[in-house]
Amino acid sequence: MEFIREYYFDFNVMSDYMSPILDGFWLTLKLSILGGIFSLIWGLVLAVLRQLPGKPLAPVRWLTIGYIDVFRGIPLLIVLLLVSGGLSTLAAPIGGDVLPDFIGKPTWFGETSPFWYGVISLTITYGAYMAEVYRAGIESVPGGQMEAARSLGMSHSQSMRHVIVPQAVRRVIPPLLNDFIALMKDTSLVSILGAAEVVYVGRQIQSDIFNGSGLVMGAILFLIVTIPLARLVDYMIGRQQARYERGIA
Amino acid sequence: MSTEGGSVVPTTGELKTAPDGSILGLHEIRKSFGELVVLDGVELTIKRGEVVCILGPSGSGKSTLLRCVNLLSPPDSGRIVLEGEEITGKGTAGLDFVRQRVGMVFQQFNLFPLKTALENVTLAPETVLGRSEGECRKRGEELLTRVGMADKMHEYPDRLSGGQQQRVAIARALAMDPHVMLFDEVTSALDPELVKEVLDVMRELADEGMTMMVVTHEIGFAREAAHRVVFMDGGVVVEDGPPSQVLDNPQQERTKSFLGLVLEH
Ligand SMILES: Nc1ncnc2c1ncn2[C@@H]1O[C@H](COP(=O)(O)OP(=O)(O)O)[C@@H](O)[C@H]1O
Ligand SMILES: [Mg+2]
Repeated sequence: MEFIREYYFDFNVMSDYMSPILDGFWLTLKLSILGGIFSLIWGLVLAVLRQLPGKPLAPVRWLTIGYIDVFRGIPLLIVLLLVSGGLSTLAAPIGGDVLPDFIGKPTWFGETSPFWYGVISLTITYGAYMAEVYRAGIESVPGGQMEAARSLGMSHSQSMRHVIVPQAVRRVIPPLLNDFIALMKDTSLVSILGAAEVVYVGRQIQSDIFNGSGLVMGAILFLIVTIPLARLVDYMIGRQQARYERGIA
Repeated sequence: MSTEGGSVVPTTGELKTAPDGSILGLHEIRKSFGELVVLDGVELTIKRGEVVCILGPSGSGKSTLLRCVNLLSPPDSGRIVLEGEEITGKGTAGLDFVRQRVGMVFQQFNLFPLKTALENVTLAPETVLGRSEGECRKRGEELLTRVGMADKMHEYPDRLSGGQQQRVAIARALAMDPHVMLFDEVTSALDPELVKEVLDVMRELADEGMTMMVVTHEIGFAREAAHRVVFMDGGVVVEDGPPSQVLDNPQQERTKSFLGLVLEH
């Protein structure tokens, strides 16, 4: 019992290392928010591409479906390693210096390259997840909405923009938030590239002083964000359910 | 029903007719879904200002025919001539031409749920015709007043009864200044007590000279408001004539038995 308390819940360790842990969590938040925003946008782009009408655009649809299937089907860790390895190599002499350093080894806005590899990989992977969520949302909008819009002379893209997507987005906010929670937890994988987010900091502490309290502190910080988000999702789903039962929305 | 706001039927010179005086001609219209032949050579010509009611058993292709007319689901073959212009086989050009001249009202209303009644009416003129917000708003208020929805302009569809929603849907279609209006069983989803308020709006529109194709099971409406009644079955026009003839003195067996079934109830 004593071991458990000391190894996992040593409040002295937590307070001694509070500052680096919080710095780490701040990086976690930045990764989550940037990755989240870019995934939201990229996912919507993918969903719309996948939904383009007409025969000539079939190749675009197939490519989009292929992309989504691939990146939903492989581990984020592999994407991280391939993105970081690929970009940095292409910017190095061994890769032929194909990419300029500011793309291959980005340090935009004072953040490190691993940070940006992380944001890019999260976007690639979670964009695919979110595209599927948007698609379900778009498909859940009754077909009569598109017909009504088209019968009024609106083009496919005008109908999507003004009629379909706004309805779809409302329906998909809860599942998108769920994906965001998953994305946030997956930012911990970026530690493998050396981005000093909260798990990276916790592991340093663990290996320096053989104590897991820093990691537990990190876990607690995650929960402070994820539990309220999960409750919010439940609340929104409950409210939508009530609306469906009243026969609207 | 208010009569403020002037006529909704365009009186400008842009409304053209074919040399034979028809505004809409459907010739040899065919449409199948897979193996199922739904329209099997429909012939129908409609004159400017004419109100044509289309009757027929469920599944006889009435909705499909209306959806062919505005190319929501284009026919497999056949010609559609609107105001003297052939619109079939013209790609997007035909689409734009027909959608801006032909309005459609659906059985399920299909109002945009995140927009108020007024926003429903102004959306298409603003985005498609590029008219100013103020102009669209003024016209939208006028049209909603005409369909008796002046006091509900800023309500969302979920706060409106079916009859009210359908009247907004009619105003929404009228906002594009259509020359022809298509109605697909627009009262079928309504509670019986709400049917009249919608039919009244349609009657008024007919009186003003709007060209209308009305798929309906309301025999009473067809009798009073229609200039012509068309009976469809098996993907073709079986009988076509004035209401007094088709409804009271049908020539074809299929029409007789259908009317027998409908009028029993
Ligand atoms: N998009 C579609 N795909 C397949 N079958 C369809 C489609 N639309 C209509 N149908 C079929 O075509 C037939 C005629 O339908 P419809 O035009 O809706 O008839 P009505 O309006 O006269 O009841 C029906 O058997 C229907 O199931
Ligand atoms: Mg029908």
